[in-house]
Amino acid sequence: MKKSVVLCLVSLAIANSVGPVSATALDDAAERYRPYMIEGIGSALAGIKELRERVAAKDLAGAKRAWLSARAGWERSEVFTAGFVPELDTLIDAWPNADSGFHAIEAKLFGTGEIDVVRDTDALIGHLDQLESRLPTMALTPQGLLDGTVRLAYEVGESKADGGESRISGTSLDDMRNNVDGIDFAYRTIFAEALQVTDARLAKQVTERIDELKTIVAAHDLPHVDVRALRRASEELVVSLQAASLRLGLQRPTLEAQSR
Amino acid sequence: MSLRCLGTVAAAFGLLIAVWHGPVSAFPVDGNQTALPVNTELNEDALERPREVFRSEISGGKSYLVNLGNLAFSSPSILGDVARQANVSCGTCHVNGAGNARFFMPKMSTRPGNFDTTGPLFNPKADNGLLDPVRIPSLRGARYLAPYGADGRMASLRDFVRNVIVNEFAGPEPSPVILDAIVAYLQDIDFLPNPSLCPTGRLVGKISEAERRGEALFSKPFPHDPGMSCAGCHVPSGAFVDHKQHDVGSVGLFKTPTLRNADFNAPYFHDGRFDTFDQVVTHFDTVFGLGLTAQDRRDLVAYLTAVGDGTQPYEHEGAGASLKEVNDFATVLGTAIAAGDRDVVGLAVETIGGELRELTEQYPDRKNTSVSGGDRERVNARAALKEVVLLLRRIEGAVDEGRTENAAADYRNYRYLMAAAVPSLLAGAEPWSLFNPAVHDQHYAALRRILESRHVAR
Repeated sequence: MKKSVVLCLVSLAIANSVGPVSATALDDAAERYRPYMIEGIGSALAGIKELRERVAAKDLAGAKRAWLSARAGWERSEVFTAGFVPELDTLIDAWPNADSGFHAIEAKLFGTGEIDVVRDTDALIGHLDQLESRLPTMALTPQGLLDGTVRLAYEVGESKADGGESRISGTSLDDMRNNVDGIDFAYRTIFAEALQVTDARLAKQVTERIDELKTIVAAHDLPHVDVRALRRASEELVVSLQAASLRLGLQRPTLEAQSR
Repeated sequence: MSLRCLGTVAAAFGLLIAVWHGPVSAFPVDGNQTALPVNTELNEDALERPREVFRSEISGGKSYLVNLGNLAFSSPSILGDVARQANVSCGTCHVNGAGNARFFMPKMSTRPGNFDTTGPLFNPKADNGLLDPVRIPSLRGARYLAPYGADGRMASLRDFVRNVIVNEFAGPEPSPVILDAIVAYLQDIDFLPNPSLCPTGRLVGKISEAERRGEALFSKPFPHDPGMSCAGCHVPSGAFVDHKQHDVGSVGLFKTPTLRNADFNAPYFHDGRFDTFDQVVTHFDTVFGLGLTAQDRRDLVAYLTAVGDGTQPYEHEGAGASLKEVNDFATVLGTAIAAGDRDVVGLAVETIGGELRELTEQYPDRKNTSVSGGDRERVNARAALKEVVLLLRRIEGAVDEGRTENAAADYRNYRYLMAAAVPSLLAGAEPWSLFNPAVHDQHYAALRRILESRHVAR
């Protein structure tokens, strides 16, 4: 009896020493992401509420500034939006059929110069409100957040030769910078520490590749982003994160939301 | 596949056929912060593309060099910074080795189908200060068509290719093997077959009276100089060229263009000033005092149209055509990995990955609400394409680190996925892809609406 218990403990110790990070540790780390998520969506919502006020005051310049502010918070949050709240993600950020959400408002404010965006703004406030109310209790899984980080890292490398998603406001490069900030925060907050323990070399590689992405999107405007370097850095980061998933005891990340 | 699934696919396919009524209008570059001038039209969203015929495919298959040349020709990487940023390659203008009659770039073109190779955009050092665009020619049958350039200034195709890369597009000096490969590729592109032409260039088979009369007129001496005729320069037995430059009243000396497949090579003349054969014939009639009657002109146009024909000039753009091209490109990896050739592996990964990323965008994601249905199929298609893009990147990483065996193993996986799994997933998603004209139209109509908002404000 005593011998078998010892054997069991030894087996457990071996399993722990060579195995991946414990699920609890990563769950705790994922929980540390929650305040960032709440802050990002809170910032987007505050921006849109400010936009609503600027619209009421017929202040087009102020409305544009508020849209940009809201957009930054949203883009930082894209690590989790596609995977955790896909329906709201579509309503809030539909593209290119901009009959709702950010891009519907963008087309009017920055395109036609219309200030009459009350209906679209109210709808967007409603959707962001709904999202914000779900954040405190939303189940955050490390797997889901790694999936989202990987998907966003791949997306950042897509061609923006046509001006990108926010081409009417000309802020696609800001979108990319905020995306990379979101990737950086998610990785450092949730996965970096654990990966450092299981594979320091890989952890260093991931950090370097995120830093490389940050350097590339620091270009002064979109046409001067080195698209070849961007794509390479994006794909190399995804490859590293795919390798990291094994070391973290997670499944291989999905490259499309809803594909798991 | 369940009956329900089959029914859905059949219904979608029926819809595809029902709405297909020819090419959908093209979509120019628009928006702020684009890499190319606003209103540039590359015609990249066309649902029909010129068919490419290779000499070597008839005789057993394309060589490594031809595939490498095709790869390089399709790669923005071999050109300069501006082209790379704008994702422009040789193939952007010469689509599948043919021309691009819809191509238009503000300040570099004066009409669709021409382009100023000495303009300011791609290489300011080559800018001659004039807006003097030349027609974008088809490269079909290039091996028969020396000298090269609209003015025929270069006897060597190799020198001409180098000049385009280095001087016109400010690219880095290409390696000898890349130059050889592009030349091999260009020399492998055949004319589309024309069953109405015999090897000596005479019309054969079921020929109309108008065509027969036109053929006679084509060889008839000019009234003012019996030593001249249309056929004197457009030699029927020699691909309808004489390899010389002539002044035909268009201000300057320009080389004789081929008439083979010319039905699909409009616009005409060195600067693309004419849209139709009728305009061309009228020009010659005027400049050379031919005294043609209206019937003569119609007969000559009928003859030119018969000579300029080709079998199946276009093919529907779909996943199958894209994958075939990409698979041809990927064959170079087998040789390059074994040789540890980092440059070629890098070029292949960059180019094929770019093509696969573009192909991914043909399957709209969930946020594209202009498209409905086939959610699962679209997700699977996109995910599969992204996986192979990353597999390519892993191959490059392995070659860079000298892990040739790992690269070879990943390459085998890549080939395996691209042989069956990926084509199957793409085929499953095709009804909801931009290859379906109805979906294509919905997507671009949505994009057009949002972009038009910019112009309302101007």
